[in-house]
Amino acid sequence: MNKRIPNYSIERKKARWGWIFVAPTLIFFSLFSFYPIFNALYTSLFKKKLLSLKPPDFIGLDNYSYLLKSSDFWNSMRATVVFTLGTFVPLLIFSLIFAIFIMSRKRFQNFFQLAYYSPAVLSSVVAAVIWLLIFDPRGLGNQWLNSIMNTPGIDHKWLANSVMVQMSTMLVYFWKYVGYFTIIFIVGLASIPQSIYEAAKIDGANDWKNFWYITLPLLKPTTILVSIISMLQCLRTFSTQYLFTQGGAPLAPINVITLNIYHTAIRDHQIGRASAMSIILFVIMMLFTWVQFKSSRADEISY
Amino acid sequence: MKKLFTIFLFVLLLSMTMNAAANLEITFWTHEDPNRTEIEDRYIAEFEQANAGVTIKRVTSGSGQIQELILTAFAANQGPDIFNMSIEDEYAYIANERLAPIDFQAAGYPSLQAVYDAYIPGVLDPVTYKGQLYGLPLELTNWCIFINKKVFRDAGLDPEKDYPKTWEEMVEVSDKLCIREGEILNRRGFDFRYPYYLVAMVPMVEQLGGQLISDDGKTAIVNDQAWIKFLKFMQEWGPSGRNLGSPTYTNARKLFNMDNNDIGMCHTGLYQIGRINADNPAFYESKEWMVVPFPKFENAVKDVPAAYYGHYYMVNGQKPKENQQMAWKFIAYMLSHPEEYLTKVNIVQPTVELMGSETYKSMPYSDVFTNDMAKGHIVYYGENSAKIQSHIREAVESVMLAGVSPEDALKTLRRKVQEVLDEG
Repeated sequence: MNKRIPNYSIERKKARWGWIFVAPTLIFFSLFSFYPIFNALYTSLFKKKLLSLKPPDFIGLDNYSYLLKSSDFWNSMRATVVFTLGTFVPLLIFSLIFAIFIMSRKRFQNFFQLAYYSPAVLSSVVAAVIWLLIFDPRGLGNQWLNSIMNTPGIDHKWLANSVMVQMSTMLVYFWKYVGYFTIIFIVGLASIPQSIYEAAKIDGANDWKNFWYITLPLLKPTTILVSIISMLQCLRTFSTQYLFTQGGAPLAPINVITLNIYHTAIRDHQIGRASAMSIILFVIMMLFTWVQFKSSRADEISY
Repeated sequence: MKKLFTIFLFVLLLSMTMNAAANLEITFWTHEDPNRTEIEDRYIAEFEQANAGVTIKRVTSGSGQIQELILTAFAANQGPDIFNMSIEDEYAYIANERLAPIDFQAAGYPSLQAVYDAYIPGVLDPVTYKGQLYGLPLELTNWCIFINKKVFRDAGLDPEKDYPKTWEEMVEVSDKLCIREGEILNRRGFDFRYPYYLVAMVPMVEQLGGQLISDDGKTAIVNDQAWIKFLKFMQEWGPSGRNLGSPTYTNARKLFNMDNNDIGMCHTGLYQIGRINADNPAFYESKEWMVVPFPKFENAVKDVPAAYYGHYYMVNGQKPKENQQMAWKFIAYMLSHPEEYLTKVNIVQPTVELMGSETYKSMPYSDVFTNDMAKGHIVYYGENSAKIQSHIREAVESVMLAGVSPEDALKTLRRKVQEVLDEG
């Protein structure tokens, strides 16, 4: 007769405790992330008005086909892509430069970290309001630039010109988040063992070679992480564009997908169509997350 | 013992039910207006004293946020008992049948007809739907031009004679009033209130013979020439034209009260007088400001001033009957003080009694507003008026700021507004 012996191994006990500890987060995520996602997916299949008490009409994929034919939606895609590329590339490059600069300092490292990071503490709304004042035609933006370039009286149309308003939103985002990504790079740089640099020094490598052949390759996982996080952040941008348009900036150049979702739901009351747009944005973001996972696995580094 | 416990439970439940009935909380969401808050807080205290067990919870939000807050609350079936917004934002609530019709008895009227008779003709039409009345006006507002006389004199103009009567004169006068530092306007002559395209800009098109929507409600954009002339005017007004103003400058109405020599004229409602007094009593007392009618184009085919709009108090139809009745009773109590609203807040409740009263007639410049209102019409309102307004905004911005030709901007505007109409 076979008697089943219960497996009370330490691993199983650990795993059980693991599940217990993870459970609150899983419940939280299910409630506040997974449920809204599935609800949005379900809602996107209906013609539903936000204020209507009547049952919504099932229209299948009509909201998606409408969006794919809508010039407004494609303009939002363009605005999002332009903003994302225009922001995350400088963010990536400059946060790396700033991190190397801070790490190379023998003194005031903490001061520089604090100085770069401080804008990230501000809420996006506060940051946008500060920059709205700076970008006012009579504000500091024109005064600074005109005094630097010796061009008195020129209105650089920070918010009025189609190109400039896109640059302005990028500038605000860059200012706000460069410190955050600098800190991530600093952590990445600190994890590279000094012994590798010492060995390279014995072999006669200079600073440039150290950076090019040691720092940059060994920072690849951090670089990929920063690029994916910053890209996802940029895809989700909303408050800067929202507040700028409230401040009189033209909508079309900076009508990013999130702003379009907001207008479609809140102004137009078309919650089904807004849900379809949010699902498309979700798919795009999932795609980048998948790229992140693939890349990070391929680039695991052990010293 | 069991019996005693049952009796105790019954008494407890009964007392809880009675307590709940006696303690009725009415939530009241409205936009910020310090002058109104002062008097409405007093009305609340008086009403609560007269109606034992009733609590009125008044919550204010910025005028830019209140629409979103109320919309999201209603979408979650958690709207307040009482709210108010401008009619172009409120109409969707009527069309989607989210409101409770007026309880005329609770509001103290002998009949529904008596409510209509108490107000000037037509003013309750926007809130009448399928034979039911869904709102009572907190205020009816139209815009005229406010002038800072000092700025005029500083530019060598006589405000009494040289104020602009036409839009063409508005361009010339504004040009003279402007103080420029290169391309930057340190003082503007006049500037528009850019978010409000339906109130002030559609009437400008109507002066030229155009319409936003045809009379049968099926066709968007009537009379292309009128629209193109209006869009050319706005193009000329903007930074790439004669550079007289732009949506990116600080709202002219906000600057006007401060009298800081940065704006000569703005357009706004009678309520602005109360706000000048509150913000800058010295400027108010100096009488260095005046109000003149809304201009029209030289070759206008219609004498159309700025459209008037109403803020109506409405009651949430999803609340219990008891709340609805108490809400209408409270609204009627607040609105039973039209003269105080006029003198303290400078807002006009369009009752027959108030409009004919000495108090209204003796208000400075009330005749200017009354004359313009008599020639005007209510702002365009519909379930999608906010979306249509946004499309007009895009058209105006594209010609003023993005270098799009008026013809192309009009083509896009027509397509978008027609799509809104077709979608219904």
